[in-house]
Amino acid sequence: MTTCNECTNFFPLEDDPSTGDCVQRVVDPRQAYYKAKPVDEDTDASKCDQFQKK
Amino acid sequence: MVNAATKELKKHEKDQEWWWVAEKTRSKRLDYLRKAVWKKGAIGGAYNPGIKIDLERPILFTEAWKENDQDPMMLRKAKAIAHVLENISIFITDQAQLVGYIGSLPHTIQWYPEGASIVNEEVYNEPGTVPEPKEKSLKIMAEINDYWGGQTAIDKLGRVLNPEDLVKYMSGVIGWGVPTSAYGYAGKDYEYILTGKRGFEDIIEEIDGYMDEAEKRTSGEPGPDIFPLYDKMLNWEAMQIILEASINFAGRYARLARVISENFESNPKRKEELMRISETCEQVPAKPPRTLQESFQFDWFVQTLARFEAYEGSMPCRPDYYHGPYYDKDVNIDKRLTKEEALDLVGEFMIRTYEIGVFAPRWAREGLQGITGTWVWTMGGVNKDGSDACNDLTIAFMQAARLVRVSNPTFGFRWHPGVKDEVMRECFECIRHGLGYPSMRNDPILVENTVYWYGHPVEEARTWVHQACMSPCPTTKHGFQPMRMASATANTAKMVEYALSDGFDRVVQMQMGPKTGDPRKFKDFEELFQAWTAQMEWLMNILVRTVNLGRAKDPEFFGRPFLSAISERSVESGLDAVSPEGERGNCWVTFFTWVENADSLAAVKKLVFDEKKYTMDDLITALEADWEGHEEMRLDFVNNAPKWGNDDDYVDDIMVRCLKEVARHSHEIKCPSGNNWPALPENVSGNIHYASLVGALPNGRRLGDALYDGGVSPGPGLDKKGPSAVLKSCSKFDHIKDGRAFLLNQRLSPTQLSGEKGFKLWKSYMDTWADLGLDHVQFNMVDDTTLRAAQSDPEKYAEVIVRVAGYSAHFVDISRKTQDNIIQRTVVGL
Ligand code: SF4
Repeated sequence: MTTCNECTNFFPLEDDPSTGDCVQRVVDPRQAYYKAKPVDEDTDASKCDQFQKK
Repeated sequence: MVNAATKELKKHEKDQEWWWVAEKTRSKRLDYLRKAVWKKGAIGGAYNPGIKIDLERPILFTEAWKENDQDPMMLRKAKAIAHVLENISIFITDQAQLVGYIGSLPHTIQWYPEGASIVNEEVYNEPGTVPEPKEKSLKIMAEINDYWGGQTAIDKLGRVLNPEDLVKYMSGVIGWGVPTSAYGYAGKDYEYILTGKRGFEDIIEEIDGYMDEAEKRTSGEPGPDIFPLYDKMLNWEAMQIILEASINFAGRYARLARVISENFESNPKRKEELMRISETCEQVPAKPPRTLQESFQFDWFVQTLARFEAYEGSMPCRPDYYHGPYYDKDVNIDKRLTKEEALDLVGEFMIRTYEIGVFAPRWAREGLQGITGTWVWTMGGVNKDGSDACNDLTIAFMQAARLVRVSNPTFGFRWHPGVKDEVMRECFECIRHGLGYPSMRNDPILVENTVYWYGHPVEEARTWVHQACMSPCPTTKHGFQPMRMASATANTAKMVEYALSDGFDRVVQMQMGPKTGDPRKFKDFEELFQAWTAQMEWLMNILVRTVNLGRAKDPEFFGRPFLSAISERSVESGLDAVSPEGERGNCWVTFFTWVENADSLAAVKKLVFDEKKYTMDDLITALEADWEGHEEMRLDFVNNAPKWGNDDDYVDDIMVRCLKEVARHSHEIKCPSGNNWPALPENVSGNIHYASLVGALPNGRRLGDALYDGGVSPGPGLDKKGPSAVLKSCSKFDHIKDGRAFLLNQRLSPTQLSGEKGFKLWKSYMDTWADLGLDHVQFNMVDDTTLRAAQSDPEKYAEVIVRVAGYSAHFVDISRKTQDNIIQRTVVGL
């Protein structure tokens, strides 16, 4: 199974690498920003359309 | 040589196109951030395309709420919000230096499903705001609504309210708002949290101390005094949970900023800024701020976190006072910031506020067209010892306001005799640039008023902030008001309407007020006035009863762990901040549609009882017919009856008598803390909202006509004797003892007030206003030509701002009816 851990968007926490943030760049019609959402390293990434192999 | 850009700027200045001037003079950063905002205020009642409900908070909150069903309210709530703060998406906008939003993405508006089922239904049915993919979102929303149905704060309150009160209140014609913290106006104990003495870690430690003591006591000798401690310990635990979650939430921003800086950003300057954001969020709110940026960020986290807990419809704060020392240190003493750099932070602080969006039910969107809440920031004023509190940051805020031109927040300026000319000039420039703010408040009068009505000590009264649009409230331990409910907002035109209908409401076809007698049989004005007084007392009573109960039950039905955790009296007592215990009381009844009472009573007195031109039977027949078939008579009542605002004692005496009756009754009705309920005439855009809900009146108004624009402002176009006469009329009642505050709208001519001469004219008007002892005045200074041009070409004039009532809005965001109502207001020559 592909997991978030294998994705370039995954940034593990320093003190607990089993979890971390999915950080993505977004450009919407008004502004550009970076967003972060907590994810675990072993989250199933097979259905994620934002997955990018490290 | 003057270059083309300078020439163009000069032309815009000459043509008073201030929105272009702002765009061309603000920094690149402010320009980007200002344009980056997704506007959340509803346009004439509908949300902008692209605005979507945030589903992350409702899902996460409900998840944790279900999981902790054994916990008491505060603890359960704290755990639910902590779960949201740990898991919700966060973002950092390019070029931003301040971070934090109440939703998961910039275009989202927040939804509080635990507040009111009636609002939840609206959320589900609101076209356009359901996020994509729609079908999936609607399924989630339906599940959330099903779960909360019957369990929301308002559902619970509905079960304990007097059923008759509930039906009358829910009719929508007499009052406005919902009596719960879920949709309230929450003040803050800024003297506790914004004076740089403590961060959240310090509060956690303070709570540890109280818990240790309570634990010792509960394991010691038994006695009745220990019983409350068991509940209090759970409340303290809740406060600690939410404070820790808040620190971690800030930590998530710190981490995101660092990740961006280290992995994505290539511009060295921005990299550095991101690292500063990261350090800032490590420092605050955990620890006290050290710099202006940290101070703003601390405040911003407080405002954001409070809105993860509740829809706070106002933002009572005083940023120049609390952040002023940090500005002074950074700009003047340490010189770590230039004035321009500081101005960027000040402007961004306003933009972050403008960005906030929460889902508002339709009545609130109609009553507050164009904005999300009445966020009137308080500026100027005095220190606790009475000395002038204006500082360099006061000026910076006025300058930033002209650059970012947001309609929310707006400012209310606390004028006092010691305000320097330099600061007055800055206020004037904002007004001259057409912002409609600051509103001008008479500080000595309002401080005395605050002491008079509630017994706040004068040093505390001097800390006052605008609790919503107009009402002052201290920012102290026992003075701050944790929940002011918009539902103590009376549609007061109903007082005179019911006095002339024996309490029967012809619009909703039900008996609402008390039976005060068949008006056809009234033999003299006194009989009519007695009926009016009875209706006035009934209307104030029913709203205050409802709101008092809502307030007393709020800790049980809603719960505010975060607000409690940042309030000294709760941290000390272990009680929910909303508990009336420990609060001195600062309630007021907002009086919408007020002046119609005086004008209508005066018209009946003159044309029926004094001149005997018509009988009461003639009048009631005409009113029942909504004046239809009685046009000549109607025009007589419009043109030949005296109108408020013309220094005419005939009608002014009636106004004063009405206010004194209200003030008498205000001392008789009490809030849950045992204090008074004075009245505060003002309107937001309730004059439009209620247009179709107020029947025909003797001032010549028909059902559907816009009501007057509110407070003690004369009816639009009815003040025929000039600005001095308006001021004189308004000076005939006591602005300390006859009510809480009195809104006065004035329209000024931008042409007359241009240049230095204009400032002098305005200053002398303000001197008269102050000498006469008025407590409030606010100005629109945009000419009819511009407003009419904006009506026909809204895109070109998208940035024109107007003062609606206690708030400002972009002109193109308000309904045509409200726009026309503003244009109709008399432009006064000074
Ligand atoms: S983009 Fe998808 S796969 Fe990659 S970290 Fe985020 S959630 Fe996981």
